[in-house]
Order: sequence, then C-alpha cells, then structure tokens
Amino acid sequence: MKTAMRGVVGWLGGGGLLLLALLVVEVGPGVAGDSSFLDTVKAVDAPYDNRAVRQVQPTVQPTVLAREEYQGGSFLVLARKQAIERFRCSSCHTDKEVRVKDAFALTHGNVVIDHGREGSALACIDCHHPRDRDFLEDKKGSKIDYDHSYQLCGQCHFRQKRDWLGGAHGKRATYWAGERVVYNCTTCHNPHAPRFAKRFPATYAVPLN
Amino acid sequence: MNLPYDDQEKQQEHHESVAAPGEKKCSRRAFLKNLSIGAAAASAALVTGCVPGADAATNEELRLRWQEFFKKNYQLMTEEEKAGTVTRLERLAALRDGLELQIGSEPPLPRVLYGYAFNITRCEGFMECVTACVKENNLDRKTNTQYIRIFEMEPGQLDPSTGDGQYFHEVPVDNKFYMGTQCFHCENPPCTKACPTRATWKEPDGIVVVDYDWCIGCRYCQAACPYYGRRFNWGRAEIPKEEITTRQHYLGNRLRPVGKMEKCTFCIQRTRKGKLPACVEACPTGSRVFGNLFDPNSEIRYVLKHKKVFRMKEELGTEPKFWYFID
Amino acid sequence: MSTPPNRNVRTFVVDVFRWNLRGGVGFQLFRLLLLLCMGLGLYAYSLQARFGLSVTGMNDIVSWGFYISNFTFLVGVAAAAVMLILPAYVFHDPNFHRVVIIGEGVAVGALVMCLAFIAVDLGGPLQAWHLIPGIGIFNFPSSILAWDVLVLNGYLLLNGLVPAYILYSHYMGRKADERKYRPFVFLSIFWAFSIHMVTAFLYQGLPARPFWNNPLLGPRFLASAFAAGPALIALILAVIHSCTTYKIDRSVFNKLRLIIVISAIINLLMLFSEIFKEFYFPTHHSSSAIYLFFGMDGHSSLVPWIWTSVSVNLVATLVLAFNPGQNNPKVLLPACAFLFVAIWMEKGIGLIVPGLIPSPLGEVVDYLPTWVELSVTLGILALGVTVVSWLIRAALIIEQRYGG
Repeated sequence: MKTAMRGVVGWLGGGGLLLLALLVVEVGPGVAGDSSFLDTVKAVDAPYDNRAVRQVQPTVQPTVLAREEYQGGSFLVLARKQAIERFRCSSCHTDKEVRVKDAFALTHGNVVIDHGREGSALACIDCHHPRDRDFLEDKKGSKIDYDHSYQLCGQCHFRQKRDWLGGAHGKRATYWAGERVVYNCTTCHNPHAPRFAKRFPATYAVPLN
Repeated sequence: MNLPYDDQEKQQEHHESVAAPGEKKCSRRAFLKNLSIGAAAASAALVTGCVPGADAATNEELRLRWQEFFKKNYQLMTEEEKAGTVTRLERLAALRDGLELQIGSEPPLPRVLYGYAFNITRCEGFMECVTACVKENNLDRKTNTQYIRIFEMEPGQLDPSTGDGQYFHEVPVDNKFYMGTQCFHCENPPCTKACPTRATWKEPDGIVVVDYDWCIGCRYCQAACPYYGRRFNWGRAEIPKEEITTRQHYLGNRLRPVGKMEKCTFCIQRTRKGKLPACVEACPTGSRVFGNLFDPNSEIRYVLKHKKVFRMKEELGTEPKFWYFID
Repeated sequence: MSTPPNRNVRTFVVDVFRWNLRGGVGFQLFRLLLLLCMGLGLYAYSLQARFGLSVTGMNDIVSWGFYISNFTFLVGVAAAAVMLILPAYVFHDPNFHRVVIIGEGVAVGALVMCLAFIAVDLGGPLQAWHLIPGIGIFNFPSSILAWDVLVLNGYLLLNGLVPAYILYSHYMGRKADERKYRPFVFLSIFWAFSIHMVTAFLYQGLPARPFWNNPLLGPRFLASAFAAGPALIALILAVIHSCTTYKIDRSVFNKLRLIIVISAIINLLMLFSEIFKEFYFPTHHSSSAIYLFFGMDGHSSLVPWIWTSVSVNLVATLVLAFNPGQNNPKVLLPACAFLFVAIWMEKGIGLIVPGLIPSPLGEVVDYLPTWVELSVTLGILALGVTVVSWLIRAALIIEQRYGG
C-alpha cells in the first residue's frame, strides 16, 4: 500500500515537474514590465532609406517642395493653387478698384467666414494680401504663396504647425515610404471655416444579436 | 455566393418529417426506410459541405482544389510553392466566379517594423476608416464584418467598455471624444501563442497574419485576444462582385473561406508596397499615423518621442504596436 | 474455466459485436432511440458543414458556446474514472476491482464525446489533419490546445488499451498479467489529473479573459469533476445493478458517496471563494461574474441558469452529506443526478459563456444555442452513451462468462 502511494506521488511529481519545465521554457522573455521592445526600437537611429521601397509611385496630385525643414530634411506638400476656383486673383484684382455691380456677391458670395472666436472673427484682409491678391500676407507683412499657406496658418496655430512638421498632425499622401509628401493645411481645412462640419458617420456597427 | 436560405428551410421541414416518424405509427420496415433515406440525405449534404472537390464543375477545378487542399503552411512554402498556390487561387477565382484577381505574396521589407498611432483628440467619429477598411479588405457585407471599432467616449474615462460602440447620430458630439480599436499587432501576441497549428504568426515586419488555408477554425485565438481584434467567418462571406478589391495578398485581403479566422493585417497588400493602410488614407481628420518604427525620421517615431502616448491594457504585457496619443 | 476453443482477436471482436446486437426488446428500442438521436445530430451537422457555424448561436463575441461547454464538462467526467482506478489498482479494494472496468468504459465514452465536440466546433471538418502531429504542424509546447489534443488522445488510448488487455486476457481464459498493465494504470492516474488540469489551463492561461484567468480554475475543475464523475458512475452502477445480473456491492456506493461529498464540498468552498473575490470589491475583472449572477445592461439570460445550478448543487451536496434516508438509494441516487446536472450547468455554459461576455471591449450580448447546436449535441451524447453501453455490455459478459 505504502509503495503504491509512493508510486503515485512519484508519477504525479515527476509529471508535474516536466510540465512546469516545459511551460517555463516557453514563457522566457516577454514578461510584462521587464523590458520592452521599445528599447530595441529606440536603439535604431541609423536613417532608413525610404527610397528602398521601390513600388512607391510619384504622387498623382500636384505637389510643391515645402519651404520648411524638419524630420529628415526636405519634403513635399500638396499644392493648393489648382484647387482655387478663380486663381489667379490678379485677373480681376488689378491696381484699379473693381467697379462691377454686386461683384462681391457674384464672385465670393459663397464664402462664409467662420474662423476665429466669436467676437473676434477674422476678416478677409487678416490673411489675404491687401494689394497683391495672388498672395497671402502674414503679420510681418511678407507675401505668402497660396501653396505654402502653412507659413501663414502657423503664426497662430504654431502648435499644430509643429505637430504637422513632425507628422503628428495632418497626414501623408498615399505612401508611408518614398519621399515624404504631406497634406497641406488647406487640403483638409477650409481656410474660411476650418472646423469640420458635423455630419452623420459614414457607417455604423451592427449589434451582434 | 448567396446562401440558399429557402433551401435550408425546406430541408428543415424535410428533416422534421424524418425525425418524427413515430407519430404516424408506421411499420418498422417503412420506418427503417425513412431512416435510411434521411441518413443518405444527410450524408450527401455532408459530402457537399466537406469534400473539397465535391461540387467542382470541371476536371481542372477538381484538380486545383485538391492541390490546394494538400498544400503546406505558408511559412513552410518555398518561393515557387508560394507562386504556385497564388496562381492556383487566381485560376480558381476565374473558374468559379469569373473574377480577375492579382494575388501577391510580397515578402516583408527589410528593416521595417510597422507601428500605428491614433490621435484621440482629433478623431471625430466619422467612421470613414471603417468603410474604407470594409471595401479594401473584402469584408463580409451580409453580417457587416468590421475590423475597426470606433467608440464614442464620455470625458473622464479611457476604457472603451465605458463608451458607445454602436452610435449613429451626427458627430462629433460636443464634449465627447472618439477612440478607435482594431488589431494592435502586439509584439507579444497572445493569439499566435494560442494557435494549435501555427496558422497565425507575427511576420518579421511586425504584422500578425493568418494563413486562412491552414487555420482549422478552433477560435482559440479569438478567445485569447484581449482587444477583440479577430473575426471569424461564421458563414460564407457575401460581397457584390463589382465591389471586390482585386489587388490582393495571400496573407491579406484575399477572399476568406468559410470557417476561418481573419483580422486586420495593416492592409499588408498595400503596406508592403509602401502604401498607407486604407484606414489611414481614408481618415478625413488625420487622426491616424502609420509608419516604420525602425526609421528614426518617421512620423510614428516622432509621435512616440514628442507626444504623451498610451496603449490599451498595457498591463497585460502584450506590447501592442498601436499607441493612442493626445495633441 | 477451460481452455478456450478457437478464440482469438477476431472472434473477440466478432463476439463483442454479436453480444451488442442481441438483446431484449427494451434494449433494442434503447439502441434505436440512440441511433435516431445520432441521425438527427448527423443531419444537423451536415447543415453546419454546408453553411458554416453561422447556423449556431455563436458570434464574434461569444465565440465558444454549447459545444465547448459540454467538452469542458465531459473532460471532467473522463478524468473522474481515476476515482475508481485509484482504490481498485492502488489500494486493491476488491469491490472496486469489480467496477473499475465500468469506470474506464465511462471514461472512454466521455473522451469520445470530448473529441467529437472539439471536431464539430472546428470551422470545418477537413482541415483537422493540420492538428495531427507529424502530418500537420503542432504548435507545441506553446499552445495549450495542442497539449490538450495530446493528453486527451493519450488518455483515450490508456483507458481503451488497459481494459481491452484485461478483458481479452479473461476472454482467452487467462489471468491478466498485472506486471504488464500496472505501469499503464499508474500512468493513467497521472494522466487523469493532467487532462483536467490542461483543460483548465486552456482557459486559465488567457489574460484576455479575467473570469478564467484565475489560478483556482484548475483545482476547481478537479473538485467538480470528482463530484460529477463519480455521481454519474454511481447512477450507471445503479442501472447495471437493477437491470443486469451483475450485482454491485453496497460498499461501492457508500465509498462513492464519500468521494462525491468530499469533492462537492471542496468545489463549493472554492466556488464561494471565487464569488467572494468577485463581489467583495468588484473591479473591471468582475464584470463577467456580474453578468453571470446578476445580468448586465439588460442582458440576463444566464441569471436563472446559474442560480438554479448553485442552489441545486448546494441542496444535493447537503443531501449527500447528511444522508437523510440512511443510505436509501431512492434519496441518494436522485441527489447524485441533481448534483451531476447542477455541475454540468455551472461548469459548462456557466463557465464558458460568461468568460466571453462582456467582450474585451465591454460589449454585452446574450447567447442562446440554436436547434442545430442542440441536435448535434444530442447526437454526440447519444454516440457517447452508445460507446459506453457497448463497452460495458461486452465487459460484463466477458467478466461473467469467462472472468469469474
């Protein structure tokens, strides 16, 4: 009887140990809180050649070279001018005053300005150049190209601009690899009413039962 | 591809008449006859449901389907074998459904580890990402399978279980924020550890993939996932033929057979060609950041370095490669 | 007991079939009923094979349902055979020696059902060959499901071969050589514990599911198994005792009652320990328990289920413990039956389904099995009963005619 018991205990003990050993071998690394793979990630600081990904095609939309540098040198932004209906503005806005009747309502009547806080909403002239209408003007009085409006927006929205330069605000166009092509401020935001309008979501999640 | 539901109901009726013959008080012989008819019907249904070539129309299809049945796990295939199965799958799709597919088997890019960040300040809950994902990844339209969930969150709480994942009203609602979830492509994934057949694994570029043809459909990985990142093909997926995305990847958006696990693959068919995942491309607010963690100049590395980030259920040690951040 | 005239393996198999095809009208009707159930199950499964698991009540949140619940419970029933093997082979209790073969038959039947439940729960029947070591790929040792497939099949082999060897020896008019089978008996004792621990680890190892991720799960599985399994065996022994000429000694029932009571009390203790942990200071991790015991977000389909189970379990355990009828089988046997059903309710659906609800993202849904799941389950249970009755019938005939 006693030997029998010893046998059982032996089997159980031996088997249990074997099981435990196999499981422990399996566990090994990856224990929570110990060391993170992020250490490996952060240790990689040699630049990655984004042109190594050969399937990347040039962006379809027109782009311009950004007049800023950040995050690995030069980059491209999506151009703006083509999207402006009546560009070039100087075809109407010459040195002479525009004297057509209802000219503003006919040409820019669709523009609703909803930019800036209540009580201190912006006026056209706060961004548009007072004389050379083919350009914008920043607070220092220098001309800003429509394709490079980020130079103007960034005066107030400097936090957003910093994030945009780094890649935490806005987005890249189509490719994560290849030459860096990012959306311009005006690609997503309507400069006259930059906040996104409320709307219904594109879809919904179905309840499962 | 449509499920013949009427047919099923008819069969159900038929089955009832077989299963309850005792009420009619028939003779034992007639009863046994009924029984054998029932058994024959059932086994015929079983055969068409199970055997790979049972409803093949041509000899070529029959041959291809048996070859497909006995192929190896994708991880063990040589390059030729990968090319072979991809060609067979394309040919089968052409034979069966008249589809012209381009299925790829692009390998992982060297020195690339994908990472993803989600800006909970910026997301406004428009769910454009969800529709783009459904379209790109050929998700089942009948049961409305979605890899991405967006939760409308009350301020003061960060756990999606406190949010509403089924909202449908004008968004964004004032004083609420939106939080997206999907497969987080953990560096230490509990799902791949659970799989009994190694049908799911983490690729060298960090994407957790499923070999749909090697999966046995036990759903242990689904139970093991702490993020509800996996979906199962409970029935045959239904996608309108004209809406099928034809550029596919073996491990990505190719049409999944019934009874297999599927999941977000960071759009492997796109990302391995340098493109952004469909959700990132579709996002109208720029809340989604995707890139190479091994590129010190990438946007994702910028976010990790300069933003306050957190990951969901970090205490589990799963090391998701998906970070939430705040402007 | 004389030298056997022309007996060999072939006649052994043929005889087993012959004995099982004969029998009285009642027995034949019983067989027919089982056959009908299996036919219904096969038919329901054929629908599932054609249309996929969409014909079941499962979905992406409740991804395991009735099949896996029954599987989990039946592993316990299989493991419980050890409660007969241990006294019979280790402590050489002569009365248990007479019934141990029945326990092993029950174990084989339960294992057949377990494997069948796993098979029908798969996405389709055909890719299962990927699970076979050698032919497919086995994710060993990291996947606990891989372990489970190994230990279940190993246990099936052990519990099939040892009794087969003993019965065959008796059939051939020999005495079974104890030195030959004893090591395997000891192995099977270890194995019985391991099948149930591994099955518990299947759930216990998932950090995604706090309801299961609990070190008490394995021990509780064993305790509940050693209560439910012997309860079932006691019922089967009672049926054999009253329906056949093979008489079971009273002492066997008394000892089984003791085993059941002790296990059931340990099981209840652990259950209360768990309930205390979940409800004294409920955390995020308690939401499954809250759903199970009180319902959540208007979903409460399991609340009556679990309270029925717990109260029946409590009453049956008390009846078995205090033995009000002084060993009256009319009191004890129903108590055994109720205990068995209560544990089935709690350890099957009551354990598996709430583990998956709410989903990891906090969504609550209810689960109800469909007629397909119920029919397939009925079919598999009928298959199990068939296997058990075949094995026991053959064993009893051999023991009575040749074994002595």
